[in-house]
Amino acid sequence: MDKENTGAKIFKLEKAEIKKVETKKNEIKKVEINKAEAKKNEIKKAEINKAEAKKNEIKKSALKKKGIIRITTAFAILIILHIALIFISVLAGSIDTGFIKLFRGLFVEYDHDIAIIYDLRFPRIIVSMTAGAALATAGTLLQAVLKNPLADPGIIGVTSGAGFAGVIVSSFFPAIYYQKPLFCVVGACVAFIMVYMLSWQNGLTPIRIILVGIAVEAVFSGFTQGFEAMAGSTLSGVASITDGNVTLKTWTDVKTIIVYAIPGLIIALLTFSICNILILKDETVRGLGINVNRIRIIVSFIAVFLAGVATAFAGAISFLGLIVPHIGRLIVGNNHKVLIPYSMILGSFVFLLADTLGRTIAMPYEISPGIIMAVIGGPSFIMLLRKEKNYGR
Amino acid sequence: MDVKEISFSYGKTKILDKISFSLKEGKITTIIGANGCGKSTLFKLMTRNLVPTSGKIVLGDKNIRYIPLKEFAKQVAIVHQSGNEGSDITVRQLVEYGRIPHRKISCIKMADDDKKIDWVISVTGLDEVKDRQINELSGGQRQRAFIAMALCQDTDILFLDEPTTYLDIRYQVEILELVKELNKRYGMTIAMILHDINQAVHYGDEIIGLKEGHILIQGKPKEVIDEEVIQKIYGIHLPVRQVDGDIAVLAVGKRDIDTDKQ
Repeated sequence: MDKENTGAKIFKLEKAEIKKVETKKNEIKKVEINKAEAKKNEIKKAEINKAEAKKNEIKKSALKKKGIIRITTAFAILIILHIALIFISVLAGSIDTGFIKLFRGLFVEYDHDIAIIYDLRFPRIIVSMTAGAALATAGTLLQAVLKNPLADPGIIGVTSGAGFAGVIVSSFFPAIYYQKPLFCVVGACVAFIMVYMLSWQNGLTPIRIILVGIAVEAVFSGFTQGFEAMAGSTLSGVASITDGNVTLKTWTDVKTIIVYAIPGLIIALLTFSICNILILKDETVRGLGINVNRIRIIVSFIAVFLAGVATAFAGAISFLGLIVPHIGRLIVGNNHKVLIPYSMILGSFVFLLADTLGRTIAMPYEISPGIIMAVIGGPSFIMLLRKEKNYGR
Repeated sequence: MDVKEISFSYGKTKILDKISFSLKEGKITTIIGANGCGKSTLFKLMTRNLVPTSGKIVLGDKNIRYIPLKEFAKQVAIVHQSGNEGSDITVRQLVEYGRIPHRKISCIKMADDDKKIDWVISVTGLDEVKDRQINELSGGQRQRAFIAMALCQDTDILFLDEPTTYLDIRYQVEILELVKELNKRYGMTIAMILHDINQAVHYGDEIIGLKEGHILIQGKPKEVIDEEVIQKIYGIHLPVRQVDGDIAVLAVGKRDIDTDKQ
């Protein structure tokens, strides 16, 4: 019995041990499986996370790319149109010419017609382009520093101040004709300082600037018109300023406007970070340690300078400085790094377009670019505004 | 910051009359007062947007008037009352402006700028909206973005002018809790003007009550605020009650007068 018993006991013990070992094995297996699964899961999760992060990044970079693409296309289209316009403008007019004839006349052999075109159309085109760029840039900068979407060198009297100075110089001191831009800049500054000081009351409010600006504009253009009436409107320098036309420009004008305007335009391009930060309230900008009034005066001066120079050559043009920056904003947005150069090119394009149309649609008569801009620019701007419903709210 | 006997007048009207107090370091000071009591003027003086007619405000040991603007911006950050600063710059770009005082040339990034900007964005809980434009944000988010910009200036002192105005109650509390956290966790010295008496009492370690250009009360809110003081500051009788060990001003008119009569 005992033997049997012990035998049975041993058997039982063995069984128990085997069971134990098996359960242990199982447990280890389970743990291992669990571990492996956990690892797998972790890897999966990490992969999913990575994938998501990548997706997000791709989305973001896609958005960024979209913006960049949009801006580059906007620039590309405008530049192509502009180049095309320059060709059309050179070829169009009372002297008929083809592209080949023009090319031969310019570079190969003397051609009487082409010589006339070279002396008359080329200066006119370059002056128009530069004046347009200067006015549009002036408008963009003024809108930024005065925080006022209506600020435009025309509306707030800057161009009429410049115009008045120009009229005085061309009728009384025709000898200093080539310093005329300087005097126009002085006139523009006087008008701007008047507007700035008269509308200042514990700060500048947009409405006050516009109201005072309109009054100053009225006074100066009143003076100019009265003067024109007294002097008789035969003086071509006076007529050029009051009508805002760019006929009879010479290569000397081209040299002068380029000497004055190009440095101004380049400096204007560099002011983008100032213009960008002025989106914030004045106190906030001051709180960042920036002297708001100083930067505002510097940028305003650049704008006024450009408007003065443009007026000296192209007359008191309004509207362009107001509308072009807004069209620019609609197309490329509010970042001045992009907006300033875009407005510059667009302004140059618009002015040249207006002048080219003006001298071709009613040949042999000429309609001043100011009139063309008002008649065509106004409605097209309204159409653009209607399309972009969120703009200006 | 110590305010020493400052007065301010617009023409002949005296707005502030010989006000003196000092902001306690590492504490939140709230400033209350009725409309036209001079609290906005005081704020403008403290943030250097106005110059006192007499007296001076001292920071460190210098009159703030003679500290260069940029230097001042490294020591004091300001959140102005938000107006319609709708714009299409992104939150991140706005916050980045806060680094300008620390830069030699304002548009050139410094080495640790990005780190600081990311940190500030996460502290103010703006991670999810950091690439959104400011004008797409809710009022509360926008206010937080401006606070984030101020934090990016890395200053010890933070001033806020009515940071809760125009916000729904939920966002009001959110902003005030954020301010409290900045004080508790990072030890910022904070001064803020508040419209709501209860919020001023609850969030202020110190409270200053202005009336007609001078300081009426100053001290720990629980000790200095009572019905009489409210009556004096705002010119209206409002019941003040104890609620869970805190004091609460019942900011409703007629009904309480009626119940008081009963």
